[in-house]
Amino acid sequence: MTITKDKAGAFAFLVLALAYGLNIGDIPMLPGDEDEPFNAKTMPTFLAWLMGSVSFIMLVTRSRNESGSDPVVGAFTGLEWGKTSQLLGLMVFYGMTITFLGFIPSTILFIFGGLWILEERSLKVLLLSSIPLTVIFWYILSQLLGIYLTHGELFFMLGGTQ
Amino acid sequence: MIEGILQGLYTATTPINLLMVFVGCFAGTFIGMLPGLGPISAIALMIPITYGFDPSTGMILMAGVYYGAIFGGSTSAILINAPGVAGTVATAFDGYPLAKQGHAGKALALAAYSSFAGGTIAAIFLLVAAPALASVSLSFQSADYFALMVMGLTAVSAFAGKGNFLKAILMTVLGLMLSTIGTDQSAGIQRFTFGQIDLIDGISFLLLAMATFALSEALMGVLRPDAVNVEADKATKGELGSMKLTKEEVKFVAPVVARSSVLGFFIGVLPGAGATIASFLAYGMERNLASAKEKLKFGKGSLRGLAAPETANNAACSGSFVPLLTLGIPGSGTTAVMLGALISYGVQPGPRLFVEQPAVFWSVIISMYVGNVILLVLNLPLIPYIARLLALPKQILIPLILFFSLIGVYLVSFNTYDIYMMVFVAAIVLAIRLIDFPLAPMLLGFILGGMLEDNLRRALAISDGEASFLWERPITAVILGITCVLLISPLWTIIKDRRAKNFADGEG
Repeated sequence: MTITKDKAGAFAFLVLALAYGLNIGDIPMLPGDEDEPFNAKTMPTFLAWLMGSVSFIMLVTRSRNESGSDPVVGAFTGLEWGKTSQLLGLMVFYGMTITFLGFIPSTILFIFGGLWILEERSLKVLLLSSIPLTVIFWYILSQLLGIYLTHGELFFMLGGTQ
Repeated sequence: MIEGILQGLYTATTPINLLMVFVGCFAGTFIGMLPGLGPISAIALMIPITYGFDPSTGMILMAGVYYGAIFGGSTSAILINAPGVAGTVATAFDGYPLAKQGHAGKALALAAYSSFAGGTIAAIFLLVAAPALASVSLSFQSADYFALMVMGLTAVSAFAGKGNFLKAILMTVLGLMLSTIGTDQSAGIQRFTFGQIDLIDGISFLLLAMATFALSEALMGVLRPDAVNVEADKATKGELGSMKLTKEEVKFVAPVVARSSVLGFFIGVLPGAGATIASFLAYGMERNLASAKEKLKFGKGSLRGLAAPETANNAACSGSFVPLLTLGIPGSGTTAVMLGALISYGVQPGPRLFVEQPAVFWSVIISMYVGNVILLVLNLPLIPYIARLLALPKQILIPLILFFSLIGVYLVSFNTYDIYMMVFVAAIVLAIRLIDFPLAPMLLGFILGGMLEDNLRRALAISDGEASFLWERPITAVILGITCVLLISPLWTIIKDRRAKNFADGEG
């Protein structure tokens, strides 16, 4: 049996509705709130039921959308997953380094890395796209607009001051 | 009203605001021209920059970006058959064939004149319609607002297109669910925070908008490489041809522009409809009205087929500001982002905006005229040069878009958790995009979620917990009646289609 894009999506939403619904029990209540016509659980409960019902209807009815009837596997194959996941990883790396290395070094590394992942191999392009842009952006933000950009923990560890 | 218009005129024409309209139009044109990046991404990218401005200036910049992005989308649609935004898909039907015939300059000029006319005519309607609706909506109560929001969210799903109704509903509910994460505003209780301090304030709308649109668009460009750049290189290195329109051509398209402006504006006012539906409807209307001979030209470079969607999409942009400014309810994904920005400036859009913040209300409307003039006078001559940016290699562009998206969100909170969260949301959104679920309803649901819950709570408190608030006030009942019609209409289409199919099978 082929699982279509619509059915796979509906199933994922059904699972989400169940998970969301189960977590409603963890919402604390103020004393006497359970007798109120509307409390912190009312809206989430309604939403969980609505998503659950709509996704169930979608699961059991025939897809009316041509592209929605395509197999879900086909939608995820033949794509550049390698480069995309490397870019996602690079973004996480940027988050990890921005406070440690500081804005300028981490941004240069990020743009350089992004260009490299996307197969730019010209050293001139790699350097000219990353360094001047980062420095100009840093200058506009910190010197012209007065927005504080961290020097990074490393800068202070090496004896730098504000 | 005259006093308000004068105040708006004064605010909109201060040097800083004029500069912002110019910057907005220019930046919007550039971003909108890049295939895959639309007005939502363009506006989302601008929000961090506008935090330092006063609300009027911020809104003026964003309105300029909105117009610029639609205009920029038309340019890439005409030159390389790659509409930057859904609203300009219909522009490519006749714009691209015209460019292939060596009339790219003429097609771009006609697109610019049509956009100008559509935007300007619709701004006149806006000038009249917005204050009128704002005065009426001053009498609205919580129950009416609740009903209006339900109608807006339903309309987005109802207009989502054939086979997308249930998907749009699911995405709207997902947006509503995301809005429940964080501290419950009235009781101060934490919901779905899973013990994470960073989730106590909920998910920021900017984070969600950037991750959903800017980040995911850029990553989709990597995930699904296409041949757009080769086409762009060819188109932008070639000659654009003359940009002049003859008197006969102007006379020929003038009635088309007039009709499409009116249609575009009213479609734009409807919550959930927006520029895409307006442009397709205008294109369809003109094809139906055309003579048999003229009909044959549609899809092969018809001036009428180009002018209609271009006029309508710009008119719809102005129209979509009516519910945003007067009711505080966004009609489209783009205006939803603007609503989020307004709220973060500390401005609550709605009927009171007209009374309490007339400078914001009127300066946005006035800036639309200024924006249209700037688009025509400054952008049109620059198009041959801006168009060369279309050939900018993707490997340079994508890391820069990723950087601006991440830093835009980081600079607001200075919290690296937001960067990780963006990566997580972008990865989920990529999967959602691959299975063809619409994203705009999610953003709309997310932005309206808090207000919807607040108004429902208040309405229930006023009616002592009775559901009678749904039909006690005529306005509430009428709005909910329209909502029911909107809900039933896709079902009616299904039944009609099925009957037609059964009939055809029986005949066969």
